[in-house]
Amino acid sequence: MFSSSQFESNSAFSGGGFTFSHQSQPSDSDPSPAKSRETQGLVPVTVKQISEASQSGDEKSTFVINGVDVANVTLVGMVFDKLGRNTDVGFNLDDGTGRIGCRRWINENFDTIEMEKILDGMYVRVNGHLKSFKGVKQVVAFSVRPVTNFDEVAFHFIDCIHNHLQSKSQLQGVTPIQPQSVDMSFNTPVKNESTGYQTAPSTQLSGQFSSDGLKSCDQLVLDYLQQPSSIGQEKGIHRDELSQHLKLPVDKIMYSIRALEEEGLIYSTIDEFHYKSTACG
Amino acid sequence: MDTSNPAVFVNAELLRLYVGPRVRAVIQVLRSDGGVVTGQSTDDNQILVKGSPPSPLSKFVEVVGIADSEKSIHAEIWTNFGDTFETHTYNQLCQLANGEFKHLFL
Repeated sequence: MFSSSQFESNSAFSGGGFTFSHQSQPSDSDPSPAKSRETQGLVPVTVKQISEASQSGDEKSTFVINGVDVANVTLVGMVFDKLGRNTDVGFNLDDGTGRIGCRRWINENFDTIEMEKILDGMYVRVNGHLKSFKGVKQVVAFSVRPVTNFDEVAFHFIDCIHNHLQSKSQLQGVTPIQPQSVDMSFNTPVKNESTGYQTAPSTQLSGQFSSDGLKSCDQLVLDYLQQPSSIGQEKGIHRDELSQHLKLPVDKIMYSIRALEEEGLIYSTIDEFHYKSTACG
Repeated sequence: MDTSNPAVFVNAELLRLYVGPRVRAVIQVLRSDGGVVTGQSTDDNQILVKGSPPSPLSKFVEVVGIADSEKSIHAEIWTNFGDTFETHTYNQLCQLANGEFKHLFL
């Protein structure tokens, strides 16, 4: 499990790009503004999107999809033409939008066992690295897992659409929609994501809210502190109370507090956890 | 890599628009006789699917094939999708994949 080869240790977690995806996907609420998503993790894409991707630089560099650098991808499709060799297993993946060649290097027993279960005509999820070889794009897979619940197929394509929308709105720098209503507008096109896989999409949604809605979070904190009840309290409001009341994570609150403090709109009172608005009631 | 033969996500309503090229649809099996399966599409209309279904056939099946009329598909590939499936989600996906986000799929 703790082998030295770089990708195999990741396949044990079958999440691929383990460190990256852990950083960037669930905890999008990192204070760094999400203008450039360098540590992307696994990007859900369709083969069509890959075929349209341009390459920034020469063969060894990353691809650009939706204006964003993409290195590791996740795909869901059907296996065709599986060909097992000594050192690797190659197959074509057809996801309904196109076919792409994939290759899985066999370094350890685990790899052989995983690939043995994969048969032609089977739906699988492939997590891998996008590469170009002699002008032909292919995926070097570090995880190939059979799909058992077929809602995963529908989910994957919805995830691609969601990711596409997210990259597009970040490219524009400013979200074209109000941050408070980002949940609503994302709910309309992908309303049923929640019935299928609740955890991943909702984390991404809240990530979207926190990374693009920094200004509105500041506003929420300020509004709360400027309420007469808050101003009435001499020792100010504890940041945990802010977090509970506004239903925002504490680190987001802290970030807003720092920003507001710098602006001179709030100040700390008895300790670094209590704050009051500088405006008089 | 080859994107020349995509299969369009369809429900019964979209099937009408895609007679000819390759399509894919998930149907709930209502009846299976001979080489024709009558299924309910994800938007609650009936579609006929011709071909050789696998046996046993699960409740939901994905078929990929050529649409030979407004209401039928000649299936090349059948995949059992099990007995539980979110048809509403898939239906919305069909609409998105053929509407606003068509460029990601076709």
